[in-house]
Amino acid sequence: MSRFMQPSLGQLASGLLLVLVGLAALVPDLLVGPIETIVTATGIPMSPPSADHWLGTDEVGRDILNLTVHSARITMLVALLASALSMVLGTAVGVVAGYARGAADMLMMRVADFFLVMPAFILALVLAPLAIEIGGEQGTILGFRPTLLVTVVVIGVTSWAGTARIVRSQTLSLRTRPFVDRARVIGASHKRIIFLHILPNLVSLIIANTILTIVAAIWIESALSFIGLGDPFQPSWGTMLFNAQQAGAAGVGAWWYVFTPGLTIVLVVVSLYSLSHSVALGLGSQRRRAA
Amino acid sequence: MLIVRKLAGAGLTIFVIVMLGFFIFRAMPGDPERMLIGSAKGVTPEMLTQIRARWGLDRPLFPDQFISYLLSVARGDFGYSFKFRGATVLDVIGPRVMPTLLLVGIAQVIAIAAGLWIGACAGWRPGSVFDRLGSSLALGAYGMPTFWLGMVLLIVFASWLRWFPVTGLANFGNDDSIGEWSEIIRRSVLPIATVAIAQTGQYALLMRAAVVEVSKEDFVTTARAKGIGSNAVLRRHLVPNARLPIVTLISLNLGFIVAGAVTVEAVFSWPGLGLLTVEAMRARDYPVLQALFMIFAVSTVLVNMVADLLYTQLDPRVSR
Repeated sequence: MSRFMQPSLGQLASGLLLVLVGLAALVPDLLVGPIETIVTATGIPMSPPSADHWLGTDEVGRDILNLTVHSARITMLVALLASALSMVLGTAVGVVAGYARGAADMLMMRVADFFLVMPAFILALVLAPLAIEIGGEQGTILGFRPTLLVTVVVIGVTSWAGTARIVRSQTLSLRTRPFVDRARVIGASHKRIIFLHILPNLVSLIIANTILTIVAAIWIESALSFIGLGDPFQPSWGTMLFNAQQAGAAGVGAWWYVFTPGLTIVLVVVSLYSLSHSVALGLGSQRRRAA
Repeated sequence: MLIVRKLAGAGLTIFVIVMLGFFIFRAMPGDPERMLIGSAKGVTPEMLTQIRARWGLDRPLFPDQFISYLLSVARGDFGYSFKFRGATVLDVIGPRVMPTLLLVGIAQVIAIAAGLWIGACAGWRPGSVFDRLGSSLALGAYGMPTFWLGMVLLIVFASWLRWFPVTGLANFGNDDSIGEWSEIIRRSVLPIATVAIAQTGQYALLMRAAVVEVSKEDFVTTARAKGIGSNAVLRRHLVPNARLPIVTLISLNLGFIVAGAVTVEAVFSWPGLGLLTVEAMRARDYPVLQALFMIFAVSTVLVNMVADLLYTQLDPRVSR
């Protein structure tokens, strides 16, 4: 825990960056004003960084900084929802399989193995156009654009297996600990044992693992948007890179257009890694003390 | 015994994937025949009936359609492409296989060699300058989307330095300047480098962690106490023991490798399966998309199975 009390410079920077991304996702208008569209674009197309446009403009003259800040919302929303789905599924399956053991355990792990090898990106690639077909280009499902919903569901449904495996192995070890035995002896129900004695001991493990799922989700969302499955009206960082690619930004050397959203993704991902690492370290020191 | 179990497991998984293919593409809302003929105008009811009969769509979904679907998949018959009219799906996919295998294969070999070397050296002396630099670079490479790395390399090496052309192999065959091997190689450097660098980071990070972990083992201390030189300990005692997690990573990451290849092919117009996937997706070419989904998913399962079997060869403890 002392790691949390005295954070390193890197951890401070990561934390600051994640706070900034959170602000960008929640109140982008306060930071850079309303999102610029083709109509409200304020600059000359494809101009390099200047005093007016710190990070340059895109092919229709929109401010890159403005777009990057506004793109945080979709990227983070998709990543967080998908990871939440994955966390709930993975934890539930892992705890139940590890606690119940036997046939239920075997069946669940067999299913988990299937999803472990199922490439999320490929599944999303196939499902997304179908979702657009069903929901319509302009339609929404539960207030979501169909592709966004597909991204969330596919990432969530294909990424829980890793969490389930880790949670299961930890549950297997926890259920034989003396404090669980004691609870069972005094007549605690299975539900009580799982929620009061096993789950609290899994929290840091689950958090560390979920942060890694967020990273994977950001990655898949960006890749899907990059090949044109994003929403042009609600950009994400991947959509920006898709636009940059369509406009031939790399070929004409418009580095500001390519570097800004990409570096943002890299910095966010590395910060999340660092955060996950800190949580895992905290977990390690807890274990050592318990031993 | 283990081999039989692994084969059975992989067979089951492949069956589930095939079933999934059926449900995704047949059981969705909307008429399959509309998907088959696209949005062509002037389709008479007679033509519709004819098409329905030809594709077996007039029979019940289950079991008739399902069985005929299984039979055609077993024959490798995925029907006809929507986009490239008249061409069978296999004709469309066939010529795209080799470019992707070359791109991913060469890049993997480079990435594994470089990644293992960087990781082993970094893990051997944790905290050294090499370790700190190598680990940061590896984490950076790991964290960046592969396609973005491709765009950055394009800007630096094609747009600024002009060492390589901006165009990929898109106009392959139509363009007179291509056809020479040197030109093909020149255009292949950036795509291959992109996939290789992106993968190197991951291998380096894992190899470093594995070496750090193994060097805490007693047999390493013993080896050093016996007076075996640093290099020999690293080569004979650490690396062989650190191989195991790497094999797992290679197999588990195939999904990500495929995803990386799809997007990188889109960046460089590399005429492989990835670019075809993007084209098929934009054209809503479902038969092609369905076949690609099967190819990617089944190859992932097969690679995983091979890795599992290899694992038992590398580590005799597993088979016990």
